[in-house]
Amino acid sequence: MAGLAASFGRGAMTNHFCDFKNADVILTIGSNNAENHPVTMAWVQEARAKGGKYIVVDPRFTRSASLADVYAPLRSGTDISFFGGLMNYIIEKELWQKEYVTNYTTATFLVNPEYKFTDTDGLFSGWDDTKSSYDNATWKYQVEKEEPWDTSATGPYAWTKAPGVPAFTPLVNKVAKKDPTMQDPNCVWQLTKKHYARYTPEMVSKITGCPTDKLLEVYEIFAATGEPGKAGTILYGMGQTQHTYGTQNVRAMAVLQLLLGNIGVPGGGINALRGEANVQGSTDMGVLSNNLPSYHNVPTQAKHKTLRDWIEVETASAGYQSNKPKFFVSQLKEIYGPYATAENDYAYDMLPKLNAINHTHIGVFESIGEGIVKGMMCWGQNPAVGGPNASFEREMMAKLDWLVAVDLWETETASFWKAPGVDSASIQTEVFMLPASAHFEKQGSVSNSGRWVQWRYKAVDSPGEATDDFDIMHELYKKLKDLFEADGGPNPDQFTKLHWPYETDGKADITKVAQGMNGYTVKDGKLALNFTKLAADGSTACGVWIYSGYFNNNDAPGDPAQQPTGSRGKEDPGDLGLFPKWAFSWPLNRRLLYNRASADMQGKPWNPAKSLVEWDGTKWLHNDVPDFGFQVATPDGKITPTPPNNKAFIMTTEQGAALFAAGLKDGPLPEHYEPFESPTTNLLNGGQSNPALTFGKATSVQPGDPKKYPIVCTTYRVTEHWQTGGMTRNIPWLAEAMPKMFVEMSKELAKEKGVVNGDQVRVFNERGSIEMVAMVTPRFKPFNIDGKVVHQVGMPWHWGYAGGQATGAIANDLTPNVGDANTSIPEYKAYLVNVEKA
Amino acid sequence: MTESAILYDSSKCSACKGCQVQCKQWNMMPSSLVKDGYEYTGSYQSMADLNGDTRILIEFREEEAPNGIEWAFSRRACFHCTNPTCLDVCPVGAISKLENGTVKLDSTKCIGCKYCTAACPFEVPKYRENVGVSNKCTLCDDRTAKGLEPACVKTCPAAALTFGPRDDMITAGKTRVAELKTAGFSKAELYGDTEMGGMHSLFVAKYGYEAHGLVRDPKSSEAVNAFILAKPLAGIGVAAMLGVLGLSFLTGIGYNRDEQSVETAPADDAAKEEK
Repeated sequence: MAGLAASFGRGAMTNHFCDFKNADVILTIGSNNAENHPVTMAWVQEARAKGGKYIVVDPRFTRSASLADVYAPLRSGTDISFFGGLMNYIIEKELWQKEYVTNYTTATFLVNPEYKFTDTDGLFSGWDDTKSSYDNATWKYQVEKEEPWDTSATGPYAWTKAPGVPAFTPLVNKVAKKDPTMQDPNCVWQLTKKHYARYTPEMVSKITGCPTDKLLEVYEIFAATGEPGKAGTILYGMGQTQHTYGTQNVRAMAVLQLLLGNIGVPGGGINALRGEANVQGSTDMGVLSNNLPSYHNVPTQAKHKTLRDWIEVETASAGYQSNKPKFFVSQLKEIYGPYATAENDYAYDMLPKLNAINHTHIGVFESIGEGIVKGMMCWGQNPAVGGPNASFEREMMAKLDWLVAVDLWETETASFWKAPGVDSASIQTEVFMLPASAHFEKQGSVSNSGRWVQWRYKAVDSPGEATDDFDIMHELYKKLKDLFEADGGPNPDQFTKLHWPYETDGKADITKVAQGMNGYTVKDGKLALNFTKLAADGSTACGVWIYSGYFNNNDAPGDPAQQPTGSRGKEDPGDLGLFPKWAFSWPLNRRLLYNRASADMQGKPWNPAKSLVEWDGTKWLHNDVPDFGFQVATPDGKITPTPPNNKAFIMTTEQGAALFAAGLKDGPLPEHYEPFESPTTNLLNGGQSNPALTFGKATSVQPGDPKKYPIVCTTYRVTEHWQTGGMTRNIPWLAEAMPKMFVEMSKELAKEKGVVNGDQVRVFNERGSIEMVAMVTPRFKPFNIDGKVVHQVGMPWHWGYAGGQATGAIANDLTPNVGDANTSIPEYKAYLVNVEKA
Repeated sequence: MTESAILYDSSKCSACKGCQVQCKQWNMMPSSLVKDGYEYTGSYQSMADLNGDTRILIEFREEEAPNGIEWAFSRRACFHCTNPTCLDVCPVGAISKLENGTVKLDSTKCIGCKYCTAACPFEVPKYRENVGVSNKCTLCDDRTAKGLEPACVKTCPAAALTFGPRDDMITAGKTRVAELKTAGFSKAELYGDTEMGGMHSLFVAKYGYEAHGLVRDPKSSEAVNAFILAKPLAGIGVAAMLGVLGLSFLTGIGYNRDEQSVETAPADDAAKEEK
């Protein structure tokens, strides 16, 4: 998500499921969509029926690959070199979409002449060895002119002076210097071209192990979508993100798709297939440790001491994110209600401020080891199976004072203290198990990968004591509030002053939460039409501005069925699969993000048969809700259409998409590095792994020597199971569908190890050793990496010791707890092991 | 009434087993897995064969071919033959043919003699130990009677399963085979057009019958033919006849379906012996 946000302004899937049918080429890489998102195949098959090509790139021949027109193998962790090679191919053969790249991206922008990338050490300019991090000053654009915000009474930023708006220094927009000819050696285009010229097909083949002819076959098919009117889409998942350079993997796809003009068009995009039904919703609600709901950054002690700091640091100097103070103040009003006033900076001081400790998943377990974290609530999460270096995480659980597991069944986390081989008597952790309701037993909205927020209704009552998560949360809040009121304690105001109107007749009421998320005017509680009605003066409250408009019907505020999120209309204007009346797609019910880019500079669709937006000479015609400034409304209510311009990406400050991104921690252009544990040296540059990766020095990681552990290993899921198997290994029908843990390996490796299909084998590295059955298959092939044979094996991570129907080894006992430079996502997808017959 | 059929297109199937699970859910068939109890099948296939509690099984067969891997998926279930040998041999009339071509096994009449299993060229009907009757696909006649498609078809996310008038399904199947041949799958063929007098569960075999484990040119066995001839003869006691037939089936007359195409492994051998 970080990679997408840095490129386009929003960290979300650009298109949506039904849109896949519009693609001329579908490239699945870092995903196994037929297996893990079976429903996607309906639209993939529709695209293929119309002549579309389906390409699957994966270390092994998957069920997706079996349905593909072309399959290409690639060693785990080498995606950036694969994409870099494709970009080089596109640039060299002049297959890029010229009008698109020149106008809608930052290709013409000039970068600081001090910027450089050095082949010999694999470092970008600005590396500080003592801090193990980059200073990105040299990655920034040269400034043409400075434009201070016009806050005069008639200016666009007059709202900043309204009574009640927090005081802050109006921003100054630094307009980048550009070279429309794109000849300047410091322009983004030339830098990009130069950077990827090193990624020749021969080099890429040596790194990835993908034969050159196969590589070129894929390149030719996908590069053809650079023709205006053609569309290629990329489907990806954790195969891209779960690397120490996962964010840069996503960035590489972004740059690639921009070169081909594939963003914003029907059948195009970069489509993150989320691994759970409501992951998009979870990140929208701020489950990441550095996010508040709607992707507002959690304040830090270093940069955001005051509300003024937060606004000045986080607000964009141009583009739609310049409205951020309106959304943030409205959010504070929802969190703290009447207590939040202009006088107390809308209770900003009550928000916790992050210190320098890494609070991500890996970081939390390190913090337990350091004695910082004493208690843990695992809410619908099972790190004893799902966490990286899972046996280390189970060890850490034993150091906790208390642990609460909220789940449908007793998971491995809830029962870590009685796992096989554990001396229960030696564990002092107090463990509580709260049985939770399953999704059919409660109501609420679910946000799918394509950003559709769909209301779901309760179908049946929960068995026994199982309780709706929100009811558990509500009870917890009430109890804690009572305790703080009665006994005081540290920071009691954060509970006692919290605004929590989410109940009806004393019972938790999720529709009240939905209203708070949608937003309303404070004085009368009327639901806001959408986020354009929000203000920074405390007159509006809104918990999640990006959802605003999803629950806005004041005629039936308590009835989800009468709200946009509950609507189920099947109309499909233009036959594009948009279905605008089916649920609500954030933001503003836009189905395709950045849809301005589906039309040329005159506003004519690149593909007239698939028109999302079109300028007819006087106004914009649209099948989708325009994702750009398409009209201006004056205070007297007069609406004036805005003629076509180049501002196709309104969520970035530049209002163009970033080929070159200064905001990430590990480089402005994606560069190939080897995984933290790799069987080979980096053939492309002198840096081995991503210098900015996180937790590389943690002692718990126990890295393996490639000589001892020469085999690449990856983890994945199978159709039949879900995540750590908490549900699927407890549902007899699903446990039966895939009852046994296995490791897949090539016939060649099996022969080397004296293993035949069905043998028990041991897979091991410094972090652990696990046993399972060997699935010997021609679907895995050894890779030829720079003339050397490199074997790869793979394991699903669905098994563990708990579960009523099927148990098995925990694959994550072997995965390394090292993380991506930007997000600290663990590197589950490429590490080293060895294999022997058990 | 128009004859109906399911069309299974193995070239669109993603082998997700949704049909396998949905069949159990709709028909309220339990999992046959005892905790950690299945033998490893050598592939993603969940169990070695259909069983008394399992009416649909997705099978996996893989071969290395010059153009890459041929991973052949198969939906194993009753084919609903026009000339169903199971019906012919059922001594108590528990098996009947519905107007739309469905071959229905009525478990309330079934006495659990297992002759249908032995007589079926595909060994599809299986014995449910705990209930003491045979079991197989009903083509969801409870659903189709109400104008709904069978549960497996309803659940298929990849549109690999369709249901409709048999003539339409045959046309669609033939068209698909032609498309596959054009796309380079030279061995693609349609199964069920004429086999056993014509089937009501058709199968587009992407890599050809053998690759998908389909019996080429299936026939009813000699024993079944003898039974059919004998059936109208009033002089033969049913019990005596059943005795003779039972003996001939046990001696292996009739078809034996190829075992699963798995790599040789001790586990597989064990599984074979168990059968």
